[in-house]
Amino acid sequence: MILARRTGLYLVLIALVALFVSPFGWLVVTAFKDNSEMAAYPVHWLPEKWQFGNFSKALTFFNYLGYARNSLIIATIYSVLITLSSAWAGFGFARMAARGKRLVFGVLLSTMMMPAMITLIPTYIIFARLGMIDTYWPWVLWGLAGAPYLIFLFRQFFAHMPRELEEAAIVDGCGYGRIFWRIFLPQSWPVLATSMLLSFTWVWGDYIAPSLLLSTDHTTLAVAVATQYVNESNQAPINNLMAAGSVLYILPVLLLFFVLQRGFVTGVSTSGLK
Amino acid sequence: MSTDQASTDQSSTSRLAEAPAKPPPPSRPTDGRPRVRLGARGRQQERVFWLSVTPWLLGFLGLTLYPLGYALWLSLTDSDGISPNTHFIGLDNYKELLSDPVTRDTLVRTGIFVAAVVPTGIIAGLALAVLINRPIRGRGIYRTLLYLPAVFPPVGAAMAFKMVFDRDTGAANGILGFLGGSPVTWLADPYARYVLLMLTLWGCGNAMIISLAGLQDMPKELLEAARIDGANSWQTFRRIILPLLSPVIFFQVITGVIGALQSIMPMLLAANPSPAAVTSVPQGNYLYMINVFAQYLANGRFGYASALLWVLFAVILVVTALIFRLSSGAVFYNFEPETNK
Repeated sequence: MILARRTGLYLVLIALVALFVSPFGWLVVTAFKDNSEMAAYPVHWLPEKWQFGNFSKALTFFNYLGYARNSLIIATIYSVLITLSSAWAGFGFARMAARGKRLVFGVLLSTMMMPAMITLIPTYIIFARLGMIDTYWPWVLWGLAGAPYLIFLFRQFFAHMPRELEEAAIVDGCGYGRIFWRIFLPQSWPVLATSMLLSFTWVWGDYIAPSLLLSTDHTTLAVAVATQYVNESNQAPINNLMAAGSVLYILPVLLLFFVLQRGFVTGVSTSGLK
Repeated sequence: MSTDQASTDQSSTSRLAEAPAKPPPPSRPTDGRPRVRLGARGRQQERVFWLSVTPWLLGFLGLTLYPLGYALWLSLTDSDGISPNTHFIGLDNYKELLSDPVTRDTLVRTGIFVAAVVPTGIIAGLALAVLINRPIRGRGIYRTLLYLPAVFPPVGAAMAFKMVFDRDTGAANGILGFLGGSPVTWLADPYARYVLLMLTLWGCGNAMIISLAGLQDMPKELLEAARIDGANSWQTFRRIILPLLSPVIFFQVITGVIGALQSIMPMLLAANPSPAAVTSVPQGNYLYMINVFAQYLANGRFGYASALLWVLFAVILVVTALIFRLSSGAVFYNFEPETNK
């Protein structure tokens, strides 16, 4: 009886996992088919001949690596800056006593609720006036400003650090800037990793900002993958190349996730709870 | 949510406020504000605090508040974002959008989408969390694989679904054909909305992780006591787990509604998301946000699109206020703030 229930539990779990993984599995399978197998009816579940060449075709169909480099540059700039600025703000919120702090914190939390879309159109106009269209400056500015979500994450983490750390440093004549940089930051590598990973994947996945702010030549991989695998003559998407390009595009995020998933999951869940 | 956050904040602030001077007598009410006169350390802390929030505050003023006000002004003009002569046209944009049947249709459609996606997503996530919270071997693997779609970049997720539901080469029609059915044009009406729904639910791993954390935080004594009192598992779930989980669920409802209202997945599911494709998104998936993009990208109507966005913002405010109101009796904040431990 108990054995049957246990087996049932595992069967349900395995079925669910299969269901969740299958769309990605199909994307991968599609990426290995050649044109004739794409057209085959009934559908070929697995390609008869695996076309590894699709991947190199996907990379050369347009300037794939160039777009990948753009994505990489923007995402790196943004994630490093936003992690540092968010950590610094989180440090202030967690460790400093100040009048007006609660008010500022309230504003911070309420901005988390605001729909990001509403500032989209004016942001475009403002950056256009500042001559920042088709440059990476918007990501630098956004990075410097920090993100409420990450500030919150760092604040939660820093609030748990023992007071003695700080006291000892102050007795030794350390200023708060040094305390942050030399003591708190090195101690907080799990949050640093979570923050870097989250902000990196935001930019890697973002479709809207690059498609508005960057020209077709300087845009990111997200935009290129979604728009460029199109047959010139009949405007139809070339599915097998598109699938191959998408797999290559998703892979870095999946790898990052697998490497860091424990910290990532903890980071997401602690921030979601409070 | 706000109550919870406020109390967490309060406890950490008051703890810090005690630092410079002698600890205050325990009888004294602390509301998070430093009551002691500020010494040199206190002044230094104030300075460091303001210094630490300056980058974010500047960003908030320049990249959030100013654009927000600008959006309000734009919504009162006929701006197209490019030509220099923009005219102030008062409330004309708002009058137009109110009388345009598309606004009502997209609003209703978006409402249905949110009502379908948010509760099912939360319930599915909770069910997965309960399932995975049982003593199973290899929990980490199941958890990771179920969570995986939630980390997919939106473009990647849309691409995967495009391939599965492609009319000629997709697995969905392959299965249909295998069962003897005839192929279906999934990415057009009336099926497109179900594809969108499935695509959104595919990412319910996030809800699972958040609920799972809530489940694992649950005081074991309570569950033990319920078991001793002879409660069956449904009673335990209904009377103890669910109330204790209510702040977590509440958080998910709020963020879920805000997120779903802004979904641009229909755009990414279109063959090739360009200004032209935005307008060719299937009717069933032509949500409010898609109309905003159509007005903005395809028609270049910055002013009108801004007005639409302000209406959306107002809707979000009303809906969240309503959720706060309706849930005030149903959400229990029994957790001791973590910072007090």
